Amino acid sequence: MAAATATILLPACEVTVTGEADADALWLTPAELAKAGRWELKPDGLCRGPLCVPVPPAASWVRGRGADLRVDLTGLSRYMGQPVAASPERGVWSIGEAVGDVADRLHSLDAPDFTLPDFDGRTHTLSSFRGRKVFLLAWASW
Amino acid sequence: MALDSAGAAAAGEFIRAAGPTHPSLIDTRYDVARAYNIVNVPTAVWIDEEGRIVRPNEMAFADNRWIEYTKFDMTRYLEAVRDWAERGAHSAYVLDAKERRRRLSLPTAEHALAAATFRLAEHLHDTGHPETAVAFFKRAQALQPESWCFKRQAWALTDAEKFYGTTFQKEVAALGGRPYYTPLDLRG
Repeated sequence: MAAATATILLPACEVTVTGEADADALWLTPAELAKAGRWELKPDGLCRGPLCVPVPPAASWVRGRGADLRVDLTGLSRYMGQPVAASPERGVWSIGEAVGDVADRLHSLDAPDFTLPDFDGRTHTLSSFRGRKVFLLAWASW
Repeated sequence: MALDSAGAAAAGEFIRAAGPTHPSLIDTRYDVARAYNIVNVPTAVWIDEEGRIVRPNEMAFADNRWIEYTKFDMTRYLEAVRDWAERGAHSAYVLDAKERRRRLSLPTAEHALAAATFRLAEHLHDTGHPETAVAFFKRAQALQPESWCFKRQAWALTDAEKFYGTTFQKEVAALGGRPYYTPLDLRG
């Protein structure tokens, strides 16, 4: 197991953390874990915003106690239903949104919001077009 | 909105040539493709004044130049778009909620993993590891084979014949008459 600088690709951003990689597992201290996906270790368990999940006693993605406590970001993410793709050789982990969240949002028929740049780098947000119809056309150069 | 890993370097010349008066966005990370589970282009979603999807993603050409792929007279589609623009919720082309949901392509766990894998591949390609990227592009394609976006984008970034042993023309030929686009069903 080697100390590694890892790039974490998250749905809306990418962050750099330091941890220990072991195959596709990435063991992080609670402080690094907070950077990678906004997870916070609290007495109630692992929390992200208002959502807290108790850590199962036999969770394979937690080890050590106190100052030696480490959480495997890959194991935790998969436990939470989030897809993980990793290239440990290149130090990159890609963590998606839980599929249930993506599917539920689409099934609600509320158009998933997004912000993207135009050719000049100016950003546009779908929800700022409320009150007007939007014809959202996807095309590509390829 | 262009789905293009290479961003303005790839999509820019088309945008400049078209000179659109509407916002013309570039989605380099396929964020919108993931959120709407878009698997091919050109496709479009109709979104009403309240931000509700009234027609889920479907094939959307502006003319009939690719009719051998579309198998549909796209002038009818343009009439439908104009009808919706004028009549809004009263347009016959606005689908009822049940039909909208029936037509939605909801992502599966494999699709979600495909999207995360594709994002990893794009990143590896952009950071100077194109050959490592190929392995992950292939994995994403295998996880969601119905996504022409994942295939064609990956092929466009490199020599498709050399690294993927295929080309777009070969893959279309391999369809053997099966439709390249999900057939357009204009009325609900």
